[in-house]
Amino acid sequence: MNRPASRFGWPAALLALLLAAPTGRAFVDDALSFAYEAANPYAERGWIIREDAWGGDLGQGDKKAVTAQLFRGNSYMFFLATDIDGAALRVNIYDAEGNLAESKSWQRGRFAYAEIKPRSTGTYYAIVEVISSPKERTGWALVYGFQRK
Amino acid sequence: MISCTRAALGTCSTTSFLCFILPGSQVKFLETVILRLLLVLFLCLGTALGQKPDKTIDLGQFPAETVDNVVIPVPSEIFTVLDKLGNPNWRGELGPEENYPASPNRAQVALLLGTVIADGFVAVEAEDSERVKKIGRNVLTLAEAINVRKSVVARSNSIIEKADAREWNAVRRELDGALQDVSQAMLELNDAQLAQLVSLGGWLRGTEVLTSIVKDTYSRDRAELLYQPMLVDYFNRQLDQMSPRLRRQQLVGEIRKSLGRIGPLVKKSRPSEISEETVTEINALATQMVELIRAKAG
Repeated sequence: MNRPASRFGWPAALLALLLAAPTGRAFVDDALSFAYEAANPYAERGWIIREDAWGGDLGQGDKKAVTAQLFRGNSYMFFLATDIDGAALRVNIYDAEGNLAESKSWQRGRFAYAEIKPRSTGTYYAIVEVISSPKERTGWALVYGFQRK
Repeated sequence: MISCTRAALGTCSTTSFLCFILPGSQVKFLETVILRLLLVLFLCLGTALGQKPDKTIDLGQFPAETVDNVVIPVPSEIFTVLDKLGNPNWRGELGPEENYPASPNRAQVALLLGTVIADGFVAVEAEDSERVKKIGRNVLTLAEAINVRKSVVARSNSIIEKADAREWNAVRRELDGALQDVSQAMLELNDAQLAQLVSLGGWLRGTEVLTSIVKDTYSRDRAELLYQPMLVDYFNRQLDQMSPRLRRQQLVGEIRKSLGRIGPLVKKSRPSEISEETVTEINALATQMVELIRAKAG
């Protein structure tokens, strides 16, 4: 059984985000907590959740691309979260040609999720988007995990 | 009765039949619940229908500043795939059994630390607990040389303890964690460039092992694991942006040159078409770089 990464990984992930995201730090911290909270049940189901994370803040309608090297033979999941009540975000996975490549995705309240079983090894893009938000800037955090297909 | 009347005349006729079978207060409660459920359902449907992702996007619409986040895979991601591709001779891939002395050259130590952590993964695959324990101690020595010992003490102890118990999955997770802890500690010390060298060292040693395994029993499926154009570009960019002091170092300069030769080899093929010759060429370059890193440690 895999250990839920957040038990040990939060401080490291938080530090990474603090160093990587000079703006909107406070809400990124909370967004990260929400993202790990949402990902934890998956860790208990055999997913290995990475101990580092990605984050920042975006305006409504803004998008951000997170580039990832994914390997055929693994499954990957991306969990996106925000701490802003009433905000809606989404994450979708595209291949290097810009084709939607995910096998599953959903958006529920402050959380969004996308899963992919890559058809080939290579570069993929997790596109993070703030669909709506009561705030001008919305902090977000993205964690990802993988497991054998 | 009032509730019944409200239900019958009210906003939602679906609840009106309830007044025949339930007392008024319960009907009111149920009516509220049903109305709320319908509202939630309506909102969910609206969200689902209105926010379907585009089937294709123009990646050109993302200027450079929106794609600065690059996810470097942890070694476990590659080893989980390798697990499924037969039983390679992992013992044959183990590196030299050495105790690396601390060196004053921090760039070299950072690169070496990355290769040693990658060695840990090979030792796990070979299920060689003594070697894993030795690697755990080497990690500590090298981390001390670049002032990040404190951040990996717990990991190192855990690696040794779990190797003793032959809990291989747990050792893998601790090795992944050690790589990340070292990088975080270096970022904390404003030493991001050294953190990148640790990652690069790990990637080079991982690539050496991977290419060696693939060329031993070549198949397109195995060779596809080497299709990592974004990573090669990323490491090249990192080296290009390093301080002149680091770039002037002979070791860093040699690695920069060799990495520049790996890029076109990876990119010239489609993912499923990396040839045996290409694998051999990449292996030769990676082996040469890893030997150089180790030689500078001697």
